[in-house]
Amino acid sequence: MEAAPGAPGDQSQPPNKAVERLNPAVQQELNLDSIKTRVVSLQKAIERILQEIDANTRTNSVPKWQDILSQYSMVNLELFNIVEDVTKVSKAFVVYPKNVNAENAAILPVMLSSKLLPEMEMDDIVKKEQVLQGMEHLPVSAQIEKLKMRIDMIGAACESAEKVIADTRKTYFGTRQGPTILPTLDKVQTAKIQEQEILLRNAVNHGEGLRISTDQRQIVSALPLHLVDILTVGDGAQALPESSGIYMKNTPLSSNNISNQGNMLQASGAQAIGRAVASPSGSTVTTSFDNTTSPLPYANSPRSGTNMMNTPSPQQQSQQQQQQQQQQHQHPHQHQQQRQKMMQLPQLQQQLLAQQQFRQSSLPGSGQNQLGQLHDLQGSAQQKFQSLHGQHQMQFSQPLGTQQFQGRQLPTGPVQHGIGQSQINQGTQLNRHLSQFSSPANSALFNAAQGTPNTQMLFRIWEVLCSLWHSDPLFSSVADFKHVSYHGITITFAKNAVFNIGAANSGGMMPIQQQQQQQQQQQLTSQGAFGNMPHNAQNLQPGMVAHQNAQLPNFQQRQSNQQ
Amino acid sequence: MECVVQGIIETQHVEALEILLQGLCGIHKERLRIHELCLKSVPNLGVVTSEVRLLCDLEQLEPTWTVRHVGGAMRGAGAEQISVLVRTMVESKVSKNAIRLFYALGYKLDYELLRVGFAFHFRRGAQITVTVSSINKMLKLHATDEAVPVTPGIQLVEVTAPASSENYTEVVAAVSSFCEYLAPLLHLSKPGISTGVVPTAAAAAASLMSDGGGTAL
Repeated sequence: MEAAPGAPGDQSQPPNKAVERLNPAVQQELNLDSIKTRVVSLQKAIERILQEIDANTRTNSVPKWQDILSQYSMVNLELFNIVEDVTKVSKAFVVYPKNVNAENAAILPVMLSSKLLPEMEMDDIVKKEQVLQGMEHLPVSAQIEKLKMRIDMIGAACESAEKVIADTRKTYFGTRQGPTILPTLDKVQTAKIQEQEILLRNAVNHGEGLRISTDQRQIVSALPLHLVDILTVGDGAQALPESSGIYMKNTPLSSNNISNQGNMLQASGAQAIGRAVASPSGSTVTTSFDNTTSPLPYANSPRSGTNMMNTPSPQQQSQQQQQQQQQQHQHPHQHQQQRQKMMQLPQLQQQLLAQQQFRQSSLPGSGQNQLGQLHDLQGSAQQKFQSLHGQHQMQFSQPLGTQQFQGRQLPTGPVQHGIGQSQINQGTQLNRHLSQFSSPANSALFNAAQGTPNTQMLFRIWEVLCSLWHSDPLFSSVADFKHVSYHGITITFAKNAVFNIGAANSGGMMPIQQQQQQQQQQQLTSQGAFGNMPHNAQNLQPGMVAHQNAQLPNFQQRQSNQQ
Repeated sequence: MECVVQGIIETQHVEALEILLQGLCGIHKERLRIHELCLKSVPNLGVVTSEVRLLCDLEQLEPTWTVRHVGGAMRGAGAEQISVLVRTMVESKVSKNAIRLFYALGYKLDYELLRVGFAFHFRRGAQITVTVSSINKMLKLHATDEAVPVTPGIQLVEVTAPASSENYTEVVAAVSSFCEYLAPLLHLSKPGISTGVVPTAAAAAASLMSDGGGTAL
């Protein structure tokens, strides 16, 4: 606004000009001096604020917004007052634009005119119509009365609103000022909080305080929904023992438990089993046993997907139990199982010894005996294969096979050839009957096969196994886990033994099926006397009977080593 | 890579923090319920033991799994100066069989925890995620329904933002400036450094709560 500078400008004109003086009344009302001082002080206040903000930005510190806002409101109020005072007397003045240049020459007439802009004029007319809407027919005085009433009502509403605002502002400022009076946290509290904080941070970042000891991990309640179909119960036992690793503890344990048996094969087998199962994927070894009270978690447990074997033989039952327990005892905290194992191991030993003796007593019949044992092996392995869930459970059978096999001595060559011949025939028969057996039939077969093993029973078993291998794709992936076994040869041999019943003996088993997968068989290259088996470095597809006399020499050598 | 800061807040002020965050981010919170399993490899696998975290998001209808590997933090004079921790981190969604896979590979469960709280995901110079959660431990293995808080009166606040080696300075700046907004209620720092609570947090929380009431005229 140039009115104010205009007035003092006029007054400060040199005296040689005709000094124009304002009307003294206007002059008094205007009180130019006071306005000047006020304006100057206002200017200084604004400068101060700007300096403060500048300093804040330079030092990059957080500004105290409350102070700045209060200062700003002061300045604002002051300016408003000044402008109000000046407008009171502005009627006496006319705007005389001094600083006219090309820029503002065009807009000046518009700014100087007192007439409203066209759109503003339209708005004005509309609003007037709205206000006087119901009153056009009344005389002017009545209109004036009504308008006055309206104004009064609005005034009253505004006043009450202002009152409410003032009240809330009072309470608001009251609470805000309150906390500054409250004491800050005292030392005891800060210390406590510090302690808790350290606890929390360490728990989140490093897991301190969250680790459950291996004993407590055994207490497993029902798994939450998101884990129940992923982990079988007890998988949490697959945990870092708080002391050293698993491996070191298992070896002495296994040797302790087995050494008194006097069967070196057994010992090595158990060790092999121990180590094999301690291989990374052995998680469900403990899994399957931990929370099952029944001795057979697999075959007849409701968890098994296919109840192929209805009633396993007691021999296999106990054997399986022992197998599980022998594998269980790796875990240092499963003491009960160790004890059970101790009790049952003699039983297994007895069985195997009995088998051995039986075998040795009748050499010609040894093939059958072997077959019988193999039958057991198959049966239990089969049980295991059937009812296990998940690939990693498959390994169970191999160590099982291993152990059982190691207890047996293989008959010498000629006998084996004889047996092999019959087996070849059976193999061909099996070939024809591969896909014809359904599960109930299989179970029936198995049950029937519980009796005296003979070649026909062997045939049945073969059929069952082959159909099983056909139907269960998990079989083929068993090979994948073999490489993790500690005694690869043992495990592989066990697998071969399972797949090739009696093939260890025969010289001429025909491959029943084509091999498909890569296998660790490469470990066990043919070294031996049983020459004409095609050497399959590739794997055993289920049902693959061939090649395993390649394994045999290894086993024999090993056996001799162990013995 | 990610930039991360952590802080603590008393449980009584969590609601006020939620209001503040809602105002700052402009979006509503997302509930958080994550079961975190920390797996560690056994000593004979590899030269050093490696640690992997499996996170199961239980808030979804169908629990989703994520695997996360947190690496070492950036070191050096530059790292000392910035107030945010920059570390390598790799994350991926996985199927629920991940846990079996890791067990098969030789990892064992080291510890597990349950985070219950809420999170805000928004973009402010960088994609920032703020999680406010109470950390719970399970006394029995995998018993997520019976989890108890590790520190009942204190919850953890984490501000994270993914970064790459090219843009981490910008992300650090974005995270730092965002953290300043939270200064009235909590102090944030690198994960190893403890900060304590803000003494005047109660006042700030009270003012936030009263504003949240919103008296109608």
